[in-house]
This record gives sequence, structure tokens and C-alpha cells, in this order.
Amino acid sequence: MRKSTDAPVRRCERLTRDGFKQGRGRSKKYWREVIRHDMEQLQLTEDMTLHKKLWRQRIRVEEAEYHLGNSILLKKIKVLSEQYAAIRRTRGDGNCFFRSFMFGYLEHILESQDQNEVHRIKANIEECKKTLLSLGYAEFTFEDFFALFLEQLDSVLQGSEDSMSHDELLCRIRDPSISDYVVMFFRFVTSGEIRKRSEFFEPFVLGLTNASVEQLFVVPVMLELPGVNPPPYLKTQFCKSAVEPMSEESDHVQIIALSDALGVPIRVVYLDRSSCENNSINVNHHDFIPTSSEVGNSDVSKTTNPSITLLYRPGHYDILYPK
Amino acid sequence: MQASRARLFKEYKEVQREKTADPDIQLVCDDSNIFKWTALIKGPSETPYDGGVFQLAFSVPEQYPLQPPQVRFLTKIFHPNVHFKTGEICLDILKNAWSPAWTLQSVCRAIIALMAHPEPDSPLNCDSGNLLRSGDIRGYQSMARMYTRLAAMPKKG
Repeated sequence: MRKSTDAPVRRCERLTRDGFKQGRGRSKKYWREVIRHDMEQLQLTEDMTLHKKLWRQRIRVEEAEYHLGNSILLKKIKVLSEQYAAIRRTRGDGNCFFRSFMFGYLEHILESQDQNEVHRIKANIEECKKTLLSLGYAEFTFEDFFALFLEQLDSVLQGSEDSMSHDELLCRIRDPSISDYVVMFFRFVTSGEIRKRSEFFEPFVLGLTNASVEQLFVVPVMLELPGVNPPPYLKTQFCKSAVEPMSEESDHVQIIALSDALGVPIRVVYLDRSSCENNSINVNHHDFIPTSSEVGNSDVSKTTNPSITLLYRPGHYDILYPK
Repeated sequence: MQASRARLFKEYKEVQREKTADPDIQLVCDDSNIFKWTALIKGPSETPYDGGVFQLAFSVPEQYPLQPPQVRFLTKIFHPNVHFKTGEICLDILKNAWSPAWTLQSVCRAIIALMAHPEPDSPLNCDSGNLLRSGDIRGYQSMARMYTRLAAMPKKG
């Protein structure tokens, strides 16, 4: 039921808004009209208010572009343009980290034709499969996703009948029946890694999703039905709610887990408005270097630069190409 | 389309193989259409649904398993998270928390768990939700039990 127009919470709709000039004789511009105007600009309609993901996506993209006007960002972009040759933008649908990683990695293999690397990652993928099985996943739930990624991996290597060109790779990344399956493959791998090394990831997850973790644990309070199961183990919950479902956004935890599981180093460059001391502008980055899980053998990857560089803006990942 | 069909076929084989593993769930695929399934689930014990057998209808989209199946109760049920008229179910894994790690079989298990642990704060059946939220557990249980008897149990005599 709507409150009356006199209720305090609804008075704001009639507040005049500074900064919106109106011509002489025009009626005052009310808050409500400003919202209308903004919604039009963002191509939102009222019936979308319940569609949380779509809504967030629309307002975020606009916000990111909007803040480009910010001077620290502009300076940072200038610094970036000196170090990086190009940026490839990815779809902002919550899968952008995984999709960026997929394209970045396959493109790297396509260009380097690094047989050893393909050989190495396949061994890791085999490990991931065992991990999932040992965690109790039924093989038929994930094998299709694994198979499809291995197929892509084989076809970026030249020399076989179905090897593909760069253009073909671009087509595939745009084809949801391939792209989404590979995203889901990465989600399975990430989930398996987090659950396998739960004691390592526990503190990250706690710090990250304090609010949502608690929400997940809301057990019906008034019901004292017997046989109530204890709340499911935290790590399972995090993976079930924030890793495995499509369109759930990725954060540090997912990046560490994926990088470790596949043994692929990833560099993330942060484009945010954090300013630096003594007014010098530099753009932070962080290298996610996989820890070789079992033995402490120092990998070759430790000395080489990550072959995949992603640009992070709050809420979104794109691919960067170094000069 | 092809991928979803292949996946459903695997689930079909799994269901056949594990038929006796879960006596509370009987999952059957439509004879002519692998995208339509029905399930009979037993009401969990020590709940007002105990003793009842509830029928679920599954409609599987072509994007399965990237998208969740649509599931609804065909048997009338009095439960805060099930629409009383349409049988629509409010359960996160059937909406935004869906992932391909779920199967039709495990969805059935999740629905049984939902029957035992209603979430009165996101009700589709407001009458039922309000009873629980106001603390009238006895009222909720007797209503739920009555509908279980009326709709989910074989008629006597």
C-alpha cells in the first residue's frame, strides 16, 4: 500500500533539486522528475525495479563512464595508455572476470602456440576433475563443461583439422553456447579449489561476504521442527551462492582460486580513484601467482610476467594488452 | 538444445541406475518429451506433510543446465513458499542461485528440505506465511495437515 503524499518519506518527491536549471516561468523541477529523467537516460523503466541484476548493471556502467570525468582517473588513464597498447572490453554481465580470463588465455595460447603450457594446464584440469569428484559432485553435472573447454584448447593449437583463427576465437567468445559453457567450466574449477582448500580460503570469504553469509544462514526462527539440519558448512554456501551460479561477480577469492587451480598467473590492474601519496600518480596492480599446491617446486611462472592482464574498474573486468 | 538434451539423457540414465537410492523421490520422464518430467515426493516425516505424496511438474528450458528447470506443485499444498493456486515454488536455487551442479533429482531433495524448513519471510502463500510469522505454529500445522489429508493422501474407502 502506498503512503499518502504527505508522509515524510514521500515528501522528498516534491523537493526541488538544485543544479537543474529551468527557464523563466517553468514550473519547479521536482525530485520525481529528476528520477524520471535519470531513468530515461539509463534506459530503465519502473517495471525493472525488481530485476536486481539488470538494474545494477545499467546503473553501474553509467556510473563508471560518468566518473571518467574525475581528474585522478583521467591521470591514471594517461599513465595506463603509456604502458598498455589496447583494451578489450568484455560484456558486463557478472561473468566478466571469467570471460576475460577465457579470452585472454586462449588468445595467449593461439599466439604463442605453447604446447608445453597446454600440456601443463591439461594436467591441472585433470586434477580439478578429481577434486570435484572427491567433493561429491556427480561427474555428469560438470563433464560437458570440461569437455568444451578442452575442445577450445585443442583448437587454438594450429595443425589439426579444426584449429581456429583469431577471428574464429572472437566468434566463439560471442556465442553463448560456447562462451557460457566455458565460463561455467571456470566456475566449477574455482568452486572445487575453494572447497578443497577451505581452511585457506575461510578468512577471505568471511571478510568478503559478511553480510551475505549471515543472510544465507537465516534459519526459520519460530519453527522448532525436529530434525533441523545444522547450517551448511560456510565454504559450501559461499560456493553455492557466489561462485557456481552464473552472473555472480568475482572478487579476489575467485581470482586466487582459479589462478591456483589452473596454475595460470594473472595480473590485475586497478583503475580506481584512490590517490597516491605525494601526488604522484601511478596505477596499482597485483599479480596473482599460483602457488604450486603440492610440492614447493619453484615454477617457471614465478620469474615470467603474467601473460594475462586484466583491468579492474569497480565492478568490472576488461582485458589489457601491454605494449 | 543439443547440449540440454544430452545432459537430460545422462540424468535419465542416472535416475534409472539409482532408482532405489532415494525412496522418497520418484522421478519420471515424459514418454515422448525429455524436457517434461514429473516427480512424486514424500512429505518429510515429523512435518505436517508427513504421509502425503506430492506431485511436481518439471518443465526444462532449452538452455538447461545453464538455466534452471521450472518446477511447480501439481498437488495442492499449504506452505508459505508455494503459491496456493498455481503451485509455483519460491526457492533460490530455482531462480538466481541456480547452477548446473544441481540436477532434477537434487532439486527434488531441495524441495523436500523446503517443505521441512519453510521461509515465512518470502511468502508466496501469505496466509500460511502470516500464521508462521505471527507465531501461530499450531494454526499453520493444522492447516497444512488438513490440506495434506485432502489432497496428498489416497482417499479412504
